[in-house]
Amino acid sequence: MKKFYSNKLAIFFFTLPALLVFSVMVFYPITQVFVKSFYDWNGLGSGTFIGFENYVKLFKDTVFKLSNKNALIFSLFITIFQITLATVFSLVVSDKRTKGRNILRVSYFIPVVLSVTVVCQLWLAILNSDSGLLNQLFKAVGLDYQQNWLSDRNHAIYVIAFVNAWQWMGYQFALMMAGIKAIPNDYYEAAKIDGASSFMAHRKVTIPLLKETYKICLTISLTGGVKAFTEMFIMTKGGPGNATHTLTYLMYKAAFREFRYGYGMASASILVLQCIAIILIINWLFRDKEKKEGK
Amino acid sequence: MKRFLALGLSLVLTMSLLVGCSNKTEETTTAETTETTTETTTETTTDSAETEEALPEGVLSLEEATLRIYAQYSDDDTKVPYDYAVEQLAIAYPNVKLELEVQAQDDGQKLMTYAATGNLPDIFQVALAQIENFKESGNIMALNDVAKSTGFEDKVFESAKNILYNEDGNIYAFPYAGNEYVVWYYNKAIFEQYGVAVPTTYDELLAAAETFKANDIVPMAIFGAEGWITAAMYDVLATRWDAGGIAKLDDGKGTADEEAYVKAAEMMHTLVNAGLFQESATTSNYDQASAMFLNGEAAMFLNGQWFMTDATATLGENVDWMYYPSYDAASYEAGKAVWSGGGAAAGYAVNPNSEHATLAAEVAAFISEKYCEAKVMYRGTPLVALDVDAEPETEFPAMMEKLQSILPEITSITKFDWHLTNGTFKTTLEDQTKYMLVKDYTAEEFITELGNSLAQ
Repeated sequence: MKKFYSNKLAIFFFTLPALLVFSVMVFYPITQVFVKSFYDWNGLGSGTFIGFENYVKLFKDTVFKLSNKNALIFSLFITIFQITLATVFSLVVSDKRTKGRNILRVSYFIPVVLSVTVVCQLWLAILNSDSGLLNQLFKAVGLDYQQNWLSDRNHAIYVIAFVNAWQWMGYQFALMMAGIKAIPNDYYEAAKIDGASSFMAHRKVTIPLLKETYKICLTISLTGGVKAFTEMFIMTKGGPGNATHTLTYLMYKAAFREFRYGYGMASASILVLQCIAIILIINWLFRDKEKKEGK
Repeated sequence: MKRFLALGLSLVLTMSLLVGCSNKTEETTTAETTETTTETTTETTTDSAETEEALPEGVLSLEEATLRIYAQYSDDDTKVPYDYAVEQLAIAYPNVKLELEVQAQDDGQKLMTYAATGNLPDIFQVALAQIENFKESGNIMALNDVAKSTGFEDKVFESAKNILYNEDGNIYAFPYAGNEYVVWYYNKAIFEQYGVAVPTTYDELLAAAETFKANDIVPMAIFGAEGWITAAMYDVLATRWDAGGIAKLDDGKGTADEEAYVKAAEMMHTLVNAGLFQESATTSNYDQASAMFLNGEAAMFLNGQWFMTDATATLGENVDWMYYPSYDAASYEAGKAVWSGGGAAAGYAVNPNSEHATLAAEVAAFISEKYCEAKVMYRGTPLVALDVDAEPETEFPAMMEKLQSILPEITSITKFDWHLTNGTFKTTLEDQTKYMLVKDYTAEEFITELGNSLAQ
């Protein structure tokens, strides 16, 4: 192995294909996003350099502010929902005493393998205010709680966040199950000998040892929330009005519906920066104990 | 056993993935639609000078070419004219083969990508907003000469000349649809059943809505998931105060805070809060909303005049259209001559970089003309751009006859949402009029956002 690492030429040739693909498919387009954000560009030709004008307009845009607020709500909602439920479910399912573990494990994961479009259509049918299952259910049990679930300007974003959280909770659940399985059984036996209850064992052993898993889960749900698009696009088209816009939707609208690609790229640049900031903050929060203490 | 099962499943998934990734569908469509053309393709190629002299009857050119065409082909309204045009093309241009690529419902994104990558089809259907973009980047051919040489220009109705020429005086697309109209449909049977007279003023409209709601009938179905219809609804209201409607704002000749637009917004807010539309208005698509009207669950419906054929087929004599209600009797009468809708210089355009650009332009003109014929003959609409020598297969629906009879009285039309040229205003108008369907969204908020979009 040492001999391999000393062969710089081999390292160069083995990493070259991946580097090339990454540069062409990821790095170059992202660079272009930043470059084009300084242009007045309609998607064709080379555009006109206008400096920070797109950013000035963006920061004055009321929809930009709303999009950021929505992204924050969406991210926090799905993060809390998914991580809490995934933790509880994975702890329950990993317990050998739980009956029907296999069925539960598959059930929690089924929404993940479904197409987002299918899930959105399913929830659209359930949430329809005239004939939807949910309102009919309330009606059937005599509750006067008929709601315009997706037409309420203040709550539609929560409803959409719920649909996303419902679908992807299973993914976080699978990650946590894998994390729990990787914890040696000896730790639990030691905890049992020390008189720890199941709850205490999970608190003192399982959760702390799932730190890296939580880090991944947080990164996925927070960045996923900030760049949310699909559910809004399918279920509400960013509406009612622009009540469920996110930065990604704003970018899509500016670039592909208004042909203001420069403005759309400015929005995308902010999105990229937000995602990088989230990753850096999470890494800082989850840094090793030694680093925290400055050792 | 398990291994075999897993292997089998993997193979099936891989195959389905490969099938999904292939462009078989596109090819099939092409094959189907060009079948007639291919059959009639002759193998002989002759010198063009000679062919001009010896063209068989009905044949316009023997030039050989395969042209890529990007066109709508999704429902009877688009399939019937296209198929008819291809059939006729096989006679007039026997050596021209069309490869159809079905237009995506994507706000023109695919066409933009084609233009950006230098891969535009030879002939493509284009909207006005894209023409402006393509003009700047040299992706669209000026068709003035071809329009003259083929006689297309002379066949355009005088009343439709506005949709032939671009603002700069050139022809960039061969239109086939004439000026079209936003029509306020109503179910006569429901109105009669509940003793409601056709409303002429907003007060009467609100009273009618109350009666229908009290009898579990949705006063008016709207497919609010689509922005163009909510924009049309707002335009219908705005034109009662200012005949310019949304077209005036798009042309930069008016501002959002003018009285007409404020009053229209306030009226829309009032109507929404009075429960004129169904509860799920903001998320209802066309199928859902039209089904409500056609099934008799809703008393009124807003759509283009092209809905007349389908409405008559389902509701028969029970369906009719009314003039748009207005704020008082006098404006109602005056407003009978002011309609929402219109046309634009859009249609079949040609890629100037096409290997067969001139031939493609001739074919585009030919197809547009045949579209007009098919629309008159098979789709029950006389509202086409060209004066074609075609008779309808069956009589026009009574509603169309009625509309046709009042066409000469119409003095002003606006624009359909998709004919607006200011992209930012267009999307804001769509989003904001959809927002107006929410009860607590105020007219002030609407006007502010509309004003912001016009200022950009």
